[in-house]
Amino acid sequence: MPPAGHRPLDPSLPPSTEVDNDDRAPYTPGSSSSLSSSSLYKHLRTPSTSSLNIRHPVDLRAITYDGAVDENLVCPICRCPLVDPVLTECDHIFCRACITDALSNTKLCPIDRSPLDSDGVSRAPKMVHNQLDSLKAKCPCCASSFARSMLENHVEKYCPEANVKCPGIYSEKYCKEVVKRRMSGRGCLHYPVECPDCKETLLLVEMEEHREASCNEKLKACEHCGVNILRCKESEHHEECPDVIRPCNWAEYGCQHEAKRTDLHLHADECSFKLVGPMADTLKKEIKLLRSDMRSLAETNHLQERRIKFLESAQRASDRPMELMDLSLANLPESANTEPLDSGHEYLLSLLESQQSRLSQLSNELTDFQGKNTMMLLNETIPIKNELSELRSTQQVTCMHVRWLMRFRMQENQRRFGGSPGPGPSGSPDGGGSSSDLPFSRRLSDSAPRDIITKL
Amino acid sequence: MFATKRLGKELSKIHGSLPPGITLVTAEGFQEWLLDIRVLDENPIYLNQTYRLKFKFSQSYPIEPPEVTFVNTTDRPIPIHPHIYSNGIICLDLLGTQGWSPVQNVESICMSLQSMLTGNTKNERPEGDAHFVASNRRRPRDIDFYYHDNTV
Ligand SMILES: [Zn+2]
Ligand SMILES: [Zn+2]
Ligand SMILES: [Zn+2]
Ligand SMILES: [Zn+2]
Ligand SMILES: [Zn+2]
Ligand SMILES: [Zn+2]
Ligand SMILES: [Zn+2]
Repeated sequence: MPPAGHRPLDPSLPPSTEVDNDDRAPYTPGSSSSLSSSSLYKHLRTPSTSSLNIRHPVDLRAITYDGAVDENLVCPICRCPLVDPVLTECDHIFCRACITDALSNTKLCPIDRSPLDSDGVSRAPKMVHNQLDSLKAKCPCCASSFARSMLENHVEKYCPEANVKCPGIYSEKYCKEVVKRRMSGRGCLHYPVECPDCKETLLLVEMEEHREASCNEKLKACEHCGVNILRCKESEHHEECPDVIRPCNWAEYGCQHEAKRTDLHLHADECSFKLVGPMADTLKKEIKLLRSDMRSLAETNHLQERRIKFLESAQRASDRPMELMDLSLANLPESANTEPLDSGHEYLLSLLESQQSRLSQLSNELTDFQGKNTMMLLNETIPIKNELSELRSTQQVTCMHVRWLMRFRMQENQRRFGGSPGPGPSGSPDGGGSSSDLPFSRRLSDSAPRDIITKL
Repeated sequence: MFATKRLGKELSKIHGSLPPGITLVTAEGFQEWLLDIRVLDENPIYLNQTYRLKFKFSQSYPIEPPEVTFVNTTDRPIPIHPHIYSNGIICLDLLGTQGWSPVQNVESICMSLQSMLTGNTKNERPEGDAHFVASNRRRPRDIDFYYHDNTV
């Protein structure tokens, strides 16, 4: 007899419930445990399937790819489609791990033998990564194909053939085993049971495989056709066994005939229902189709009614400002009453028309406003323009004055230095020119000392 | 295992096709393979002869070169060549730690050796062959050959 914790737990059952699995689980051993079930399930929490996931690092060098991989995406060192590709200074692509290994041995590019060290490699272009990510490869567990970048996620979260933690990890027994995901919905299966065929005792998790492959008694002759079949697949076989007695195809409509599956076609021609049957079938299909059509129409109708109700209520409130009209159905007033469909459409049209007129009114206003604006701008700029031209003429007059003064000064200087060759300081009053003609004063103060120096 | 995976790939390619003059004898496990090579042209030194090559792979293959030697059996002699010692040890830079590149493979080594024989015109052993064969106890990879003549 198995220990108490070994009873199969159905995760769909609420915890702390009196559970009797004896007639539900196919492999539960005969006698039940002496412990009360409520204490047994005290610590059982319904396990969320994601909490059973195990990290499955997928070795991208060990998987099989669909079809031939482009030679340009194959690492020249490991001869596998690149994993974490890097680009060397000399424009060669390798897996990061491969080139790191190679460089730890010789500091040369494996292809062109040019000097290279680990600083000379950088991540390969995004495009290469994308191409590699989209390569189709087979799942190492279930052999279906996925984009390479999706494999790890698939194995970790979805693959039915990948191992997950046994849901028994949440039971009192705290089972630490792993189990294939497709079997993880049935609670902990790590308890011994007897094979119904060979009476050997083994763990329930292994039972399926045992009955299909290694069981000594796995085969039996079909009681109808005599062919050897797997005992555990008996009911599947009966679904297609040629010698199983089957009712006529039109039994549903009243034919009483029964025959072996293989012989049933002989009856097809002589069946009195052979004309009615197909017709009834077509009608049945037709009715089913019509029903589903009806249902979808009713749904659409309902939706439209709700919309109309809303629009009507909106019409009643149409003198309210625009912003308050919320078109979402969520704000539908419940108290609105129903009216024929036509008025709804008319209302929609009138709504549209009023919007149009409002729009044209707005655009008229806009042009008006623009015109006014331009006028205002002109009016304001005219005085500014006038002022500006006034300033310009004043400036010109000042310029003239300055030029005249300049010429006068220069002549003065020439006369002074040319006539009496005395020491320079007499010319110093020039340096302190008024601030209004600053550029000229600077030039003068420049030239005056130069003159003095040449004289000295 | 890195070496195993890479050799697995090479093996499936070899089973598919091999260049003319190269045949796989055994490749049991991923430690030691035997291949036969023939010289394809009419070089009189190697006419109508087949030579057997032994490849020994380390765990670090292809980062480290394999150990490649000619082996002597009843109908497979050691080819005469100024870079091949009479005990089968080959003096070829591409098989040394310095000349090796991980992009090389069993097939490319075989082809290199094939062309090394094809281009040879000297019917002689390397200098000091008798002494080397008598005294050498080191593994071929660890021998510092002096790759003096790349034309042969
Ligand atoms: Zn390179
Ligand atoms: Zn690689
Ligand atoms: Zn899968
Ligand atoms: Zn378990
Ligand atoms: Zn059995
Ligand atoms: Zn049958
Ligand atoms: Zn019938």
